[in-house]
Amino acid sequence: MASRFWTQGESDTEEESSDYDEQEEGPLETTAVAGGSKYLQTEASDSDDSDGQKRVVRSAKDKRFEEMASTVEQMKNAMKINDWVSLQENFDKINKQLEKVMRVTESDRVPNLYIKSLVMLEDFLNQALANKEAKKKMSSSNAKALNSMKQKLKKNNKQYEDLINKYREKPDLFEEKDEDEQEEDEEDDEGGSDLDDEDLLNRESEESEDEEEMEKEAAESGSGWEKMLSKKDKLMDKQFKDPSQITWETVNKKFKEIVAARGRKGTGRIELVEQLTFLTRVAKTPAQKLEILFSVVSAQFDVNPSLSGHMPINVWKQCVHNMLAILDILTKYPNIVVDDMVEPDENETQKGADFDGTIRIWGNLVAFLERIDVEFFKSLQIIDPHTREYVERLRDEPMFLVLAQNVQEYLEGVGNYKGASKVALKRVELIYYKPQEVYDAMRKLAEQSAGGERETESGDETKVVEESRGPPAFVVTPELVPRKPTFPENGRALMDILVSLIYKYGDERTKARAMLCDIYNHAIFDEFSISRDLLLMSHLQDSIQHMDISTQILFNRAMAQLGLCAFRMGLTAEGHSCLAELYSAGRVKELLAQGVSQSRYHEKSPEQERLERRRQMPYHMHINLELLEAVHLICAMLLEVPNMAANSHDAKRKVISKTFRRLLEVSERQTFTGPPETVRDHVMAATRALRQGDFGRAFEVIKSLDVWRLLRDKDNVLEMLKAKIKEEALRTYLFTYSSSYNSLSLDHLAKLFDLSDSQTHSIVSKMIINEELHASWDQPTGCIVFHAVEHSRLQALAFQLTEKLTILAETNERAIESRIGGGGLDGLPLRRKDGQDYAAAAASGAGGRWQDFSFSQGRLGSSGGRTGYGGGRSSASGQASGGNFSRDRTGQLRSGGYQNSRYQDGPGRMFQSGSSVRGNQMDTSTRMVNLNRGVRA
Amino acid sequence: MANTTARSFLQVAATEEAAPPLRVVQIEGLVILKIIKHCQEFSPALVTGQLLGLDVGSVLEVTNCFPFPIREEDEEVEAEGANYQLEMMRCLREVNVDNNTVGWYQSTLFGSFQTVELIETFMNYQENIRRCVCIVYDPSRSNQGVLALKALKLSDSFMDLYKNNNFTGEKLREKNLSWVDIFEEIPIKVSNSALISAFMTELETDTPVRQCDYERLQLSTNPFLERNVEFLIECMDDLSMEQQKFQFYYRNLSRQQAQQQAWLQKRRTENMARKAAGEEPLPEEDPSNPVFKPIPEPSRLDSFLITNQISNYCNQINGVAGQSFSRLYLMKALHDEK
Repeated sequence: MASRFWTQGESDTEEESSDYDEQEEGPLETTAVAGGSKYLQTEASDSDDSDGQKRVVRSAKDKRFEEMASTVEQMKNAMKINDWVSLQENFDKINKQLEKVMRVTESDRVPNLYIKSLVMLEDFLNQALANKEAKKKMSSSNAKALNSMKQKLKKNNKQYEDLINKYREKPDLFEEKDEDEQEEDEEDDEGGSDLDDEDLLNRESEESEDEEEMEKEAAESGSGWEKMLSKKDKLMDKQFKDPSQITWETVNKKFKEIVAARGRKGTGRIELVEQLTFLTRVAKTPAQKLEILFSVVSAQFDVNPSLSGHMPINVWKQCVHNMLAILDILTKYPNIVVDDMVEPDENETQKGADFDGTIRIWGNLVAFLERIDVEFFKSLQIIDPHTREYVERLRDEPMFLVLAQNVQEYLEGVGNYKGASKVALKRVELIYYKPQEVYDAMRKLAEQSAGGERETESGDETKVVEESRGPPAFVVTPELVPRKPTFPENGRALMDILVSLIYKYGDERTKARAMLCDIYNHAIFDEFSISRDLLLMSHLQDSIQHMDISTQILFNRAMAQLGLCAFRMGLTAEGHSCLAELYSAGRVKELLAQGVSQSRYHEKSPEQERLERRRQMPYHMHINLELLEAVHLICAMLLEVPNMAANSHDAKRKVISKTFRRLLEVSERQTFTGPPETVRDHVMAATRALRQGDFGRAFEVIKSLDVWRLLRDKDNVLEMLKAKIKEEALRTYLFTYSSSYNSLSLDHLAKLFDLSDSQTHSIVSKMIINEELHASWDQPTGCIVFHAVEHSRLQALAFQLTEKLTILAETNERAIESRIGGGGLDGLPLRRKDGQDYAAAAASGAGGRWQDFSFSQGRLGSSGGRTGYGGGRSSASGQASGGNFSRDRTGQLRSGGYQNSRYQDGPGRMFQSGSSVRGNQMDTSTRMVNLNRGVRA
Repeated sequence: MANTTARSFLQVAATEEAAPPLRVVQIEGLVILKIIKHCQEFSPALVTGQLLGLDVGSVLEVTNCFPFPIREEDEEVEAEGANYQLEMMRCLREVNVDNNTVGWYQSTLFGSFQTVELIETFMNYQENIRRCVCIVYDPSRSNQGVLALKALKLSDSFMDLYKNNNFTGEKLREKNLSWVDIFEEIPIKVSNSALISAFMTELETDTPVRQCDYERLQLSTNPFLERNVEFLIECMDDLSMEQQKFQFYYRNLSRQQAQQQAWLQKRRTENMARKAAGEEPLPEEDPSNPVFKPIPEPSRLDSFLITNQISNYCNQINGVAGQSFSRLYLMKALHDEK
């Protein structure tokens, strides 16, 4: 350990920098080591100082500078070991030295060395602060020093803000001046401040000259591209300046180095991409180029580190181009195989273009493609849909489709149908929600932009060639893969091709998603029966709960679209059943992933909310919620209004749409109903009109909704709606007023509801057949003759009671079944669960008790009479004289009405006999009886 | 009756220690009339009142009663009610009337009295008075020419259970308690002094038919039946609710058991691995594990009461229907004769 520090103090070579890297990567030192190192450190630097100063006579100015440089050196050393305590000391020291230097030089110009060190310090500080984990691990004194350092530096840096900024902009400027002033220092500094780069430098000695040259060049040419490059790229250029020197090995080595640097702290992500892009140009073999291109793409994915943000759009485009380049290579050299299963040979890529055998390269096209799609999706999620940026972004869609198409074709060519089906799904997911108009628009855009892009692209390329100045790419790959998407005329046709491929080769999830997209697409194209059949045949409804959330969202979307389609077709009942579930919980937004709904009852954790946000659909894929709500409510209205009229005496009995009922209740509770504003208000107003049979007004109100303009064939739909409303108005009228009529003429009805005779006839006949209306036709006179069959209240109640009883009995049976299972009661363990008991008690209570009474009535009657009033001699005697009849009655009533403990034995015995009479009618029931008996006995 | 009155108080005091079970509730005619008057006048509002009397061996004598003012759901009024009761008792004592509380009476509607509140009141009374009864009077039934009066008490075994508030299936089985065993009905004996009886006979008219009998011959039973069926429907709903509670409980229970099994399985495999590695096995029981926290079983009390209530309604319907048939046959016979 100690020796390492010693060497650190003295040398300033590559070894040291690699040392530094090690420390960066390795776990942080313990406190003890850190503390120890501080002393070692200072000692080291002391000796260093003395070494450097020995026997050299310098001017005072030089001496001051020397001091300062050595302090900077110490600071660097402290940085290397993350020792903030000594860093802080050194910082104070350098500030003092600065004063001295200023005094000596008698200028108000702050030395560049100082500014540089400040910048360096600041960077390091930020880096340290960003690394939270390491911060946690720090010793307390170290952490304290870090904090105080932060504050000090902040205060201090304010004074030199301009200079620092200037330095940051143009470090070379400072360096050059520096060089003039202090050549030795400069070199040291160079080495130190560019620690990261140092491992890139192979030929350090040539560096400074080269650099100067380069800088001059840069200044001369002044091209924007050059400026963007950081110093290391320049270095790289230099390194590979001479085309003749480049070999496969150098490129490979460089590539390995860059890849190794990836993900490391302090490695600029964008720079990494640029370095790699440069390497693709100098790659020696196609395989190598391919390998590097793969790394470029994955490095580009890394540009945006967070999950919530999206990849910068220009990077995304580059990424797509790179993918296309990959495909170019792959199609040109069919002997290269991309695989992510096997670890390829170290020197696999060395095999040249003329190599005959297969070359295996690590990579996964499908994964890359999916990632690109995800990034595209994310960017659409995040960009505000009402801006131009969003539209611009949407225009990139064809670009992705081209890529996907090409990848799919390649995969199919290679025989990887599984991958191809996955890619096809991605394409399907971009197309399924587009009606023909949108599809056409996209096709047109793709054709146009493909032409345009071709130009800009070629322009780009020439620019690249110009700019690169360096060697032209060794492996020139012609653009083999078409850059222009080929879309079939019809969106449906494309869907069919893709979907059939997926059905053939896809895995479960892919198939399910494709199926849902297919359903959605069919629904958009007004093919209700096809999409319904698809839904029912696939049995997706049963298994959708077990799928992942995004598939569930897709399912919801498909259901919503199916409902809309059914409505357009005039199938209100189907439409309602499709949509009812979406609306039952009042979380439509959430279910369709079209916005985050706020729940009043439980707060979402930020984590949940973030997850939800990540699932949101981009705006252009949204299903219009107002339209959806209007359709849902209108369907519900058309079903519910006649239903309510039919069951007027008990409103709760048959509810078709609970949501609608609730809304209606709310609107009925209002004391004053203003003109309708929202969709709900409109539908409620229409409902009120419809309940009174005023179909004209109902239709007018509905028609005034402005969501209808979103429908394609609005006129047809409204026409259909009008017919439906008339029909339901007629039905409602008949339900409500049939009891007031003896007969009704068909003509009158037809006139009343503006329907043709035949329509009216068919509606009424249907109602008669369905036994909704107790009436019959009188053909000669064209009249409906009503038969008044009204249930009395008692009868209605009795019906209700039987219904309840059936439900009760059913649940009881189920409870018993779940208890008994297949094994029967004997097989039950000793610790019987109470459900069985409960069920048994209830069953015997319901069945057995009844029997009790029927059996024991007579006898109990007499005994009851005896113990009851008859017992009271005096007063009862009067009553008794009233007649045997009355006395018996009371007795019987009493005994029937009251359960007396004294009669307990009676019923028990009776019961027993009752059950034995019943004998073996039902094995289980007798057994239950026995059990019960056992409990009571 | 003759026996009981013949016993002296001293004798009663001596025998009381054996505490024979309550056999009969003996009510003065006057008390009954007072109860009826009170309940009938306020019908359909439900009213209550206090019963006063003596506890003599296996007979509970009710010799006097007084009504309570109609209670309102208010704390103050409740306190006032208690004051009223004490004041009333004091006043009665001053005029030398029996002032020993033996229970209370209450009116009911169609026999819908089997509620948790009733049981609570019973428990309250039971704290102070060892033997107490509740006399329930149903004005609606009386309209049909029936004296719908019954005396109730809670069964002892039920009271034990209720005190521990333990209505799980296990306990109920242990105690052999089923829904019929909650309430015990005690026969009522109406006693009048000889003088009154004599006077009553004197008052009796010569006609063999009285108002009461006419009422009994009323043919309209629909409203009564309707109300009963309505109540029955309500009960069914309640029972379904209870059933759902149980279903829910069982679903939870089975889920928990599955979890327990899974946990145990995991623990066992873990232990096997530990054993193989030569380590101490972990305990198989872990009380701190939330999986082993028992799920509270829903109380059976409600379903018991509902069942009682249902049987009550059924009996009423049964009785009324039977009578109606008899009446209808009678009417038919009369009709035919004409």
